[in-house]
Amino acid sequence: MSSQITLTSSDGVDISVDRTVAERSILIKNMLEDLGDSGEAIPIPNVNEAVLKKVIEWCEHHKNDPVTATDDDDNRRKTTDIDEWDQKFMQVDQEMLFEIILAANYLDIKALLDVGCKTVANMIKGKSPEEIRKTFNIQNDFTPEEEDQIRRENEWAEE
Amino acid sequence: MSSGKKGTTPVQPRRDVLASLRMASMEDISRASLPAEIMTSILDYLDPVDLIRVARSSKLLHEMAYDDTRWVQLLKRIGCWNEADARKHIEASYGTIANPHLGDDEIMPGQASGTIPSILIEGAPDSGVQQKLSDGFDKIDLVNTSLPSGSGDTEEDDPDLTILSTAKSIRGEARHQYGRIHGALAPFYNDIAQKGPSMDRLVFTRYKDPQSRAQMLSQLAAFARSDLTDGCEDRIDRLQRTVALFETAALEEFRNAYEAEDIGGNMRKYAHVLWTLNGGQAAVDAFVRHNHLMARRSELGTVADCIDASGKIKLQHTQAFFTRLSVAFNEEIAVLNQAFPLKLDVASPFLEKVGQDVLYPFLTAIFDELHRSNMESYLTAVSVTFVQCLNLSESLLPIRSSGEERELSFDPVVIKIFEPHIDLYLAEELDFFRKGCEAAIDDWDRQLSEQAASAESFLMSNINRQADKRDFLTSFKKVIMMPVNILPGFSGNKAASGGPSANAETNGAAETAAKSSNRFSTIASPVTPTLEEAPTTELAAKAAIMKTKMEGIKSLFSIEIALNLVHSAKSSLERAAQFVRLGGEYEQAAKRQCEAIFVALLRLLGYRHVIVGFDKAVDHLSNYRPREQDERDSSGVEPLVTFLELVNVGDLILQMVDVFYEQELIATRLTDRQDFLDPAVKEKKKFEQMLDERVAAGLNKGIDVLMEEVDYILATRQLATDFNPGVSADPHRQTMDVGVSQAAAAVVDVVSSHTQMLVGSTDKSTLDVFNQEVGLRLFTALCKHLKRQRISTEGSLKLISDMNHYFKFIQTLRNNELLVYFKAFRELAQIYLIDPSDAKELATIIADADRFYGIWRVEEVSEFAERRVDWYQVKGDVERAMYGAGCRVM
Repeated sequence: MSSQITLTSSDGVDISVDRTVAERSILIKNMLEDLGDSGEAIPIPNVNEAVLKKVIEWCEHHKNDPVTATDDDDNRRKTTDIDEWDQKFMQVDQEMLFEIILAANYLDIKALLDVGCKTVANMIKGKSPEEIRKTFNIQNDFTPEEEDQIRRENEWAEE
Repeated sequence: MSSGKKGTTPVQPRRDVLASLRMASMEDISRASLPAEIMTSILDYLDPVDLIRVARSSKLLHEMAYDDTRWVQLLKRIGCWNEADARKHIEASYGTIANPHLGDDEIMPGQASGTIPSILIEGAPDSGVQQKLSDGFDKIDLVNTSLPSGSGDTEEDDPDLTILSTAKSIRGEARHQYGRIHGALAPFYNDIAQKGPSMDRLVFTRYKDPQSRAQMLSQLAAFARSDLTDGCEDRIDRLQRTVALFETAALEEFRNAYEAEDIGGNMRKYAHVLWTLNGGQAAVDAFVRHNHLMARRSELGTVADCIDASGKIKLQHTQAFFTRLSVAFNEEIAVLNQAFPLKLDVASPFLEKVGQDVLYPFLTAIFDELHRSNMESYLTAVSVTFVQCLNLSESLLPIRSSGEERELSFDPVVIKIFEPHIDLYLAEELDFFRKGCEAAIDDWDRQLSEQAASAESFLMSNINRQADKRDFLTSFKKVIMMPVNILPGFSGNKAASGGPSANAETNGAAETAAKSSNRFSTIASPVTPTLEEAPTTELAAKAAIMKTKMEGIKSLFSIEIALNLVHSAKSSLERAAQFVRLGGEYEQAAKRQCEAIFVALLRLLGYRHVIVGFDKAVDHLSNYRPREQDERDSSGVEPLVTFLELVNVGDLILQMVDVFYEQELIATRLTDRQDFLDPAVKEKKKFEQMLDERVAAGLNKGIDVLMEEVDYILATRQLATDFNPGVSADPHRQTMDVGVSQAAAAVVDVVSSHTQMLVGSTDKSTLDVFNQEVGLRLFTALCKHLKRQRISTEGSLKLISDMNHYFKFIQTLRNNELLVYFKAFRELAQIYLIDPSDAKELATIIADADRFYGIWRVEEVSEFAERRVDWYQVKGDVERAMYGAGCRVM
């Protein structure tokens, strides 16, 4: 199972990777199972070289993780704890972070997606609405009355 | 995210998930942004405060953050979301699917909150702004949780203390409900989470009353379950340490109060505090562990007190132990009822603890000691203490409990205590019974053989013992049926109310029980009747009477022994039967053992005692040679009398066993009568069968002996002059003596006295067969006898009265078949009455076979006729008349 497969990024770069590592992605895993290993390069049209490399790096590090197939949202304890390596791994600029999350979503790598989301959640933590808008490049589409209304509704959340 | 698009988004219908997804399509953004579903999962990782700030940043995020399921999830974690309530509420507001009578989009204020007063806080400025913002901006009922205004503003009335229990499960309002909870609890929670456990925390400074503190801490513990964000383990740990701090302090107060016996005050207070805090398990543990009962258990009694010098158990002392225990226990239950909240189950662990730490060591020590020293004591002790244990559980005060009656079951505790002993006990019981019985029988056998050397004679008074026997049986039945009273004296009050006859008999039973305790030694002197001491019980008296009357069969077997065996079986059975109450596996074991005891009883009583006696009697009968015995008296054939007596007694024992079986095994449902495979039933059948066989064999021998006796009487007592007075030399003899001859009277006496004895003691068919046999043999014997006599016309009168006498006797046997023979005899006697001159008449009678019911042929009748004194004078006439007439016919 240590055979190598080749992935082609959106900008046409071929990257060679262990099959076991690549199979952290459910998308690729299913594809290989469905089509068989033809030896041809697998195109990943939505992910560019830089991001794909980053994702592969993550997969390499986590290739021996047990597959957590429990998607049970009700039971899964949603803590925002991130292990140390992942924290370092996620120390990238915001655009790259979002790209990684999108790539993980596309490639169906649940654990990476979770780490990404947690990182974003930690970014949001403690920020004011204005700062959040800035971070996510969101325009305030509330009228002042509406904003006031929401604040009054949630007075309990004021520190 | 596309803010430009957002502004023009028309007002969407509420809870349209697809709409929010559509809005999330962001093709026209240059910068990398995240699709809605990813945003949603990011929001999952935010704590509620951040979530609200996110909601304030844009409409799209507002909608996502306000998503009700998110908040329902939080409430579920805290444990104050009730799905059923939520559904009920929806149905009340919108109607069910089947019956949408309330198609209204708005939640009806008031309907949601039932009887609790609710106020609408932001309904008034119901402006167009709100209409526009209807997405996630429902009108909200804020439930006023404060108690009625009259209650003042003490700590207990702080609505924050009941914030969790008053939370509503209403769909669409979960966020709001969470907000209330958060608002009330977060300050305390954060205070603890940031500063760590200490008694200076806000929760302790705000609330002084321990009850309120406990209430708040328990709410915080629930609230902490919704805290999932970074570092939550740390925060929750701090909270738990704070709770532990408080718990320790409260527990200390609780124990101090218990020691100071301030039960209604501080103890009760802190029991409730601990119950509120975390279910009060700590208080229960403390109460059970440091209970006064445990500390004072040595005062209840010691093992040494309960065993006397000779290794006998002193039941009064064990009872005293149990009484003291129940008093102490009831005191504790009173405390417990007063101090603990209703729902808290303190009694069960307490009971278990008492069983384990007080009862178990005590009883085990006693049992072990007794098992070593005195087996009978051991058996009594096990059974009695078991009953005392059960009595104890009945004497316990009821334990207060909420709502449904909690059946406090002592049984598991009792089972636990007795579990290690039951098997050994049951085995020992059977063994003890068997050994005791064997010893008794051996002892008796030995004494018998000693005695046999000295006294060989049987003294029999031949009286009908039917009445005595019946009398004896009734009293036996009475004794058997008396309520189980294995705790003589001190538990009498209970048993006395059990049966109608109990009051009169309790005393007797107690003494019977007392007597039965040394029953294996009372038979030491069977030769001298034990009548010197006045019998103490009815049964004993009857037994004594029986015994004196049955002196004759003493050498064969003793009813007293049988009675004693049955008695010891009864006491063993009753002891073992106590354990049937335990149910399940032990019930089965106990039942099996009871049956085994019964089987052992039958075997011992049957094979070892009764059957041996019967065999001896039969032997004796068959060796009996009446003629070789020089001294004879008129009353009867002694071995046969003895044997018939034996049959009587055997029957008595059988009936005794039967009564015993009915009362002890059937009535107490230890065994099933219908179950023919049951060892007890099988054994009983076998016993009966065996007895019948012996009886039959004995009767067979008996008839032989009886007939020999009859022959002997006829041969020796029938005088030649009886039927032929003419030859008598006695000048004073009276002619025409119509009395019964001496021999006939003697024969009838002998036979009837023997047949009488059997009546009522063997079953009907055996009796019939016996009678028939006796009758036939008597008939043959008489025929033979008659053919040896010379009978004159004058003497025939005597013969006729003899025949009538026999006939009358046979009538009493009520056997028609037999009666025919003797009727024929009566007819036959007439041939001697006919005057010699009427030879023709005589010939007619002789030839008339019908007259003799076909019993004799004409030739045989002629043979009888030959015994006439004047036969040679009439012979010619008669034969002519007979054969002449016959020739004429031919």
